[in-house]
Amino acid sequence: MTRQRAINNQRRRLLQGIEQAQASRRSVLAGAAGLALAGLLSACGTKGTSSGNAAALAPATDLSDSEAVVNWANWTLYLDYDEKAKNYPTLQRFMKESGLKAKYAEDIDSNDSYYGKVQAQLAAGQDIGQDLMVFSDWMTERIIRQGYAQELDHNNIPNIKNLLPALQEVRFDPGRKKSLTWQSGYTGLVWNKEAFPKGLRNVEDLWDPELKGRIFMLDEMRDTMPMLMLDDGVDIAGSWGQVEFGRSLEVLDRNIRNGQIRQVKGNAYKQDLISGDAIAGLAYSGDITQLNFEEGGKWEFALPESGGLLWSDNFQVPMGSPHKKNAERLMDFYYQPDVAAEVAAYVNYLCPVLGAQEEMEKFDPELVEDPLIFPTEEFLSNTSSERELSVEEETDFQNQFQEVIGV
Amino acid sequence: MNANLAPTLPETRTSGADLELRGITKRFAEFVAVKDLDLLVPSGTFFALLGPSGCGKSTTLRMIAGLEAPSEGSISIGGEDVTSLPSHKRPVNTVFQSYALFPHMSVLENVAFGLKRKKDPEAMAKAQAGLEMVELAHLANRKPAQLSGGQQQRVALARALVNRPQVLLLDEPLGALDMKLRRQMQLELKTIQTEVGLTFIHVTHDQEEAMTMADTVAVMNEGRIEQMGPPRELYELPRTAFVANFLGKSNLMRGEVTGKRAGLLEVDVAGHSVLLPEDRAVQTSGQVVVGVRPEKITIDRTSSGAAHNELSGTVIDVSFTGTTTEYLVDVPGIGRIGTFSQNRGQQPAAVGDTVYLYWEADYSFGLAGDERMDAGVEQ
Amino acid sequence: MTQTISKSGLSDLRSKDEIRAERRKGRTGIYLVAPGLLVLALFFALPVVVLLAMSLYVKPPGAEIGEFVPGFEIGNYMTVLSAYWPELLRSFWFALIATVLALLIGFPMAYLVAVRLREKPLLQGILLVLLIAPFFSSFILRTQAWKQILADEGFIAQALKFVAILPADGHLTATPFAVVAGLTYNFLPFMVLPIYANLGRLDTRLLEAAGDLYASPMNSFFRITLPMSAPGIFAGTLLTFIPAAGDYVNSALLGNNRNTTMIGQVIDSRFFKVIDYPGAAALSFVLMVSILVLVTIYIRRFGTKELM
Repeated sequence: MTRQRAINNQRRRLLQGIEQAQASRRSVLAGAAGLALAGLLSACGTKGTSSGNAAALAPATDLSDSEAVVNWANWTLYLDYDEKAKNYPTLQRFMKESGLKAKYAEDIDSNDSYYGKVQAQLAAGQDIGQDLMVFSDWMTERIIRQGYAQELDHNNIPNIKNLLPALQEVRFDPGRKKSLTWQSGYTGLVWNKEAFPKGLRNVEDLWDPELKGRIFMLDEMRDTMPMLMLDDGVDIAGSWGQVEFGRSLEVLDRNIRNGQIRQVKGNAYKQDLISGDAIAGLAYSGDITQLNFEEGGKWEFALPESGGLLWSDNFQVPMGSPHKKNAERLMDFYYQPDVAAEVAAYVNYLCPVLGAQEEMEKFDPELVEDPLIFPTEEFLSNTSSERELSVEEETDFQNQFQEVIGV
Repeated sequence: MNANLAPTLPETRTSGADLELRGITKRFAEFVAVKDLDLLVPSGTFFALLGPSGCGKSTTLRMIAGLEAPSEGSISIGGEDVTSLPSHKRPVNTVFQSYALFPHMSVLENVAFGLKRKKDPEAMAKAQAGLEMVELAHLANRKPAQLSGGQQQRVALARALVNRPQVLLLDEPLGALDMKLRRQMQLELKTIQTEVGLTFIHVTHDQEEAMTMADTVAVMNEGRIEQMGPPRELYELPRTAFVANFLGKSNLMRGEVTGKRAGLLEVDVAGHSVLLPEDRAVQTSGQVVVGVRPEKITIDRTSSGAAHNELSGTVIDVSFTGTTTEYLVDVPGIGRIGTFSQNRGQQPAAVGDTVYLYWEADYSFGLAGDERMDAGVEQ
Repeated sequence: MTQTISKSGLSDLRSKDEIRAERRKGRTGIYLVAPGLLVLALFFALPVVVLLAMSLYVKPPGAEIGEFVPGFEIGNYMTVLSAYWPELLRSFWFALIATVLALLIGFPMAYLVAVRLREKPLLQGILLVLLIAPFFSSFILRTQAWKQILADEGFIAQALKFVAILPADGHLTATPFAVVAGLTYNFLPFMVLPIYANLGRLDTRLLEAAGDLYASPMNSFFRITLPMSAPGIFAGTLLTFIPAAGDYVNSALLGNNRNTTMIGQVIDSRFFKVIDYPGAAALSFVLMVSILVLVTIYIRRFGTKELM
């Protein structure tokens, strides 16, 4: 099994650059297409632009009984892959067991770019060609708020009983009626153990003069800003506002200006860690597990003492999808503990399925005790999630953040 | 266009310089283009290098211009060794076969190009004068592409001439022109050369052009100079079969020297006795080749009665050109002999007629017996 | 007199036929260009109109994210221009430097392959393939490779630090230098190929003629080769400058967040991060028009003669 994992990881490393390249290209094209489309639709006066109430969308007629297909858009490198067979083993198994044809697309590179790509169609209630899409919590929240997601029928997802208790109730989706967790993860600190043996305990340790010009922040506002606010002692789940946000933004601004922060980066931060240009920064837990496996365990990931972020990426069925039932069957399949364990062994993110930890023994015993995949109470207690932002705040904070990071 | 030449070029009488090639050999990989060539062109000469394509004449010219380096030997101009000088430092200019006018410059800029490189303060004025010389002053601001072939040729000539080179090289400069323009330009070139007194080296494969224009013609073949001299001398007394055939036409006959008397060689040519002045023979004994130019032969229906230098045969071809009638006569044992007669109203011989061909002994010339009779015959 | 009239009558008759033939020919021409025009209308004109319309949209009060309604908000332009004019200027500045560098590097390369190696077709072919080879790999992978080459631990940075050109704590990536170097490298083939194609047709006999007319090799180069290759240089500089000015991959991957941001990055972030479609559209439109204006000036100044 370890061998299989090594192969998988090798493929992952090989593909990392290429996939990022493709993803970036895609996002450019998607941007152009999205822009044109958004404009066209708006010019035609479709629903997408009717101000205020977008909740008037109705779900598409479910053709699941006549069309045995399900289309799933997911992030790159986010499902177990067999290099030799050139397929996704768990997905193969799903197709065999369900008799459905599942089409899997690694279409999503970032919440923003995928939202930008499909927003116009979502707003118009059109089929985006995907029956399942995967977004992070805050974007899931926005999708639900905007009424772009169909309500799930839990009768078709009996395995939902395996959902971790902590995830059964989420703020943005009481009763998990419109979303279901795919994987979870932490945002925390990473550092190169050889280049910086002192290690990091808190975000503020990144401002150490020894690290000048060698650290990076994440270009996702929803990661970097909460991390800085946590460091500032703000309860990010509680009531905070422009004052607290502004204070942390100032810290960010100062450290970009004085050259402490080399760059604010997207997924490409892994390349900078490998090349040695960056020796510390903010990172996602699964990435570092993967990186350590591939590049020889040079890096340490930790949650800051002031707390790390716990986030999830969630399945959703878009309003225009005509295969909701098929989509629900797919979600149900992945909530079987053995299937979830197989996926977790590959993607190295936090597994949201109860019983998967026991099943993991079969796949990779080393990983059973990994708190980054199967969290301990202690770990979880040191994490939190950001409160919901209002529409105005979303735009306003994003704007301020972009200005500070220079784009 | 030449009458007003002298006034526009005040320094015309300054003459060119001697050009001397010593032991020049040029090899390209396996191929030897020029073999151990020695050549002295006195200053102010209009010198023609004549030969078929591939004979090495263009390569020789390019070596003089500095566009190719000789493999062996030396080149000197006006007594100064220029062998190692790059082309832009040689007092030589070339009129290229392709003209090689600079397409992005006006005609005037083209002509002024060399003068400007020499930092001549009167470059533009001299270029303008040069254009006037070739009667193209009114086209000074055109681009070369807007000119006809003849006009381009004149621009190329002016562009080279205005620099007053010690030696002017002409690389088949008239090759691209039609016959009429060509004849006109030949005369003009000759006149210009006489006026300016520069040394001209003219490369051509057109023997008529070479003879019309040059003071001295060198016939080149396979990288060597076969024979060199004034056109008339070359024509009247060719020393090789190649020259005899390439420069005009010749009737060549193989024979054996049978005796000598009073400065004449007696040669037996297939049973006919042919007399040949000893001083016009390359070889005076054994197997020789006897030649005579077609126009030197008289064609007649009756025999002249002379015991020598008369052949008889059957007319196999007659062609009437107006001023002359050309005949091809088959002489048993010798082969075909060509000749023609002036049109003075006489009844021409017809195909199948038996005719007598005779000529004066002084017109015969003798070549070495081992010559290839068809050397230099243009296909 | 009668003759003249009948003659002109004849010519009129003939010209009617000619006109008909002309018309037929004209119609054939239209049929032939129709698909091209359609493609152009569909993929250029229409998006531009949509872009222009989008750039004037307004956000209604209480709108959801991504919701805008048709309007005529010229203020969108003022807003983005006042906020992002430095990025716009920087884009043109970087693109200009990259273009000049690409020309300085690319011309000798093109010259070597097209002129100097004309007698050696094998070597010429190999070098030509090497020149085009970067086209075969992904643009972004190439940029990533540059990142590795210029990395702090990389050979170049280490060597520069060793000879003290670069301070010990200095770096090459995340600097304007890296961005311009990346732009130069990535768009070099766009410079080299048109110049190569042009120099491939250069009649070297003209260089011989120039040498024969007392021009030194240097002189021949500047008076003959360079002016004759002007159309290639012209095409190359345009093909390099235009995409370089709109590029954002190089600045995103090789830049920092302070003094390397280019307008393409801003458009990307307005569109995807801030979900400000009108702002992104306005900036795109401004970029397009600015390039159009700059290129027009350039063509007016240098182009017309050589483009004939």
